[in-house]
Amino acid sequence: MTRSSGFSFIAPLLVLMVVAFNAPIVYMLGLAFWEKGRGFTLEHYEGLAEAPVYLRVLGNTMRIALIATLANIVIGYPLAHWMRGLGSRGRMIAIALVVLPFWVSILVRTYAWIVVLGNGGIVNRALQWSGLTDAPVSFLYNELGVTIGMANVLLPFLVLPLFAAMIRIDDRLLQAAASLGAPPRTIFWKVYFPLTLPALAAGALLVFILCLGFYVTPAILGGGRVPMISNLLDTLINQIPRWEQASAISTILLIVTLLIFAAYRRLDRKASA
Amino acid sequence: MKRRTFVGGAAALPAMSLLSGTARAQSKEIRMIESGGASGESIQKGYIDPLFQKTGIKVVRESPSSLGKLRALVESGQTSTTLFELGSGVVLQAKKLGLIEKVDWAAVSPAAMFPEAKDEYGFGYQYFSTIMAWRKGVKEPKNFTEFFDTKAFPGKRCLPDYPHYCLPFALQAAGVPIDKLFPLDVDTAFKKLNEIKKDVAVWWKAGAQPPQLMKDNEVQYSICWSGRVVGDPAFGLSFAGGKADLSFICVVKGSKPDDKAAAWKLMHEMSLPENQAKAAEVISYTGPSPDLDALLPKDKLWQFPTSKQNKDVQYFENAQWWADNGEAVNKKWEAFKLSL
Repeated sequence: MTRSSGFSFIAPLLVLMVVAFNAPIVYMLGLAFWEKGRGFTLEHYEGLAEAPVYLRVLGNTMRIALIATLANIVIGYPLAHWMRGLGSRGRMIAIALVVLPFWVSILVRTYAWIVVLGNGGIVNRALQWSGLTDAPVSFLYNELGVTIGMANVLLPFLVLPLFAAMIRIDDRLLQAAASLGAPPRTIFWKVYFPLTLPALAAGALLVFILCLGFYVTPAILGGGRVPMISNLLDTLINQIPRWEQASAISTILLIVTLLIFAAYRRLDRKASA
Repeated sequence: MKRRTFVGGAAALPAMSLLSGTARAQSKEIRMIESGGASGESIQKGYIDPLFQKTGIKVVRESPSSLGKLRALVESGQTSTTLFELGSGVVLQAKKLGLIEKVDWAAVSPAAMFPEAKDEYGFGYQYFSTIMAWRKGVKEPKNFTEFFDTKAFPGKRCLPDYPHYCLPFALQAAGVPIDKLFPLDVDTAFKKLNEIKKDVAVWWKAGAQPPQLMKDNEVQYSICWSGRVVGDPAFGLSFAGGKADLSFICVVKGSKPDDKAAAWKLMHEMSLPENQAKAAEVISYTGPSPDLDALLPKDKLWQFPTSKQNKDVQYFENAQWWADNGEAVNKKWEAFKLSL
């Protein structure tokens, strides 16, 4: 097959991407710079500088995304490692259980947490029944609730690539280290962990970037007390509607995300070099 | 201008509307975007069904109706949606942005209406109230000073995540009487909110949240829409200090003349008190006819935003003040939310 005929196969997809995805994004980015009848303007970015509250919401979003990512790593890494040690049948069941939540709507899963963690929910009733607490613990309508919800939704994005990398690790490497007298802790940190690090970094980055755009979970489990950038953008786009301001904020969000991605690529290249 | 002078002369109107009705071609189906839920069903039963029986014109409903959606409709140059529901403050914003058209009141030839409902740019079709409510069994507040007193009235609160709902109530708690709320003393209102924010468990975005949260005992007190709580034995409520507001039906800029002719017919149906009584059966909100009270069930009058005993204790939304100051207040609101 020649190169040109290969290109003609992907051309429809390329056209679709450019027309339905790239062009609207460029239009959206342009909104902040170009006003009908007035031409080029930087007013909306100046507005951002004058009212730093929008940038603080962005900062808050980054912080929560970081917390949720760390929570995902703490839960996801041991889980993937445990799955590696299972037999082939056990692995299949474990993968099915990890992927299963994907089949349930994110809205349903988020509301389910209210049933589980609410004041009258299963967890609080069990805690009170067993005498561990007197009053209901507030799991919901704060950052804890949002973090739990986000970690739950995003766990598969971390576990699946990590698991794929872990099962590719040759057991003989670990056996060789053991035969040379390395204790289990050293084997883990010197051999096993470095081999999983690229997949861990990629998975964590994916989770972090997805966290930045979360809308449903903070809206429902945050009780309006956890301001995140998507919810702010919703207000600016749907209610006010200041699309130009929303566009300026989105542009900054996009740039920050790209910078994080670039930093990761640099680290990754250094690690693999 | 000339058309509007006709509105005053009521006798000439039926003849006028007949003429304008027959003179133009008219669409058999138009679309409207409204706020959805029980409110949308009340539009269906109260106004759309009677219109269809009389004229054969169908009105297809969609929801929800955000201002952003209206802006997208107009800027993309579409003409498929003719009618759009907007809150009183949003009508002013939409007017300023050039997203809606004037109502041809001569063609609508409405039955008698309260004057504030007959706007140049919209048909005020539904009065609704934002009031205090609580879960039965807790200590019952009589006014917003007591509602915001979390020491004497212990319990979690659920407040709207919108400054134009929260700030006037907070000001009442600071001692401002309802006839002196506007211009709003924004800083005093935020000071009061700062005092009680630790007792606010949830700031709601959707009107269905507060009644559900009270039922689940997640919160004990709420500020919520009257139609969501009246008539439910699980809740106590009071209209004292509440906010009465009016929701409008507007015509999307650039709509086709044939569609508009059908839209005026629907607005005419919306002005008839007997239709408004049908709509009030579906949701406890009321239409703009001064003759409506006589048609409503006597034992349910206490539930409606505009019945005499309720109208007197509430304040009316000052849409103009919010149109002028809304955006600046919204920035302060975002800063306040960051401090939670």
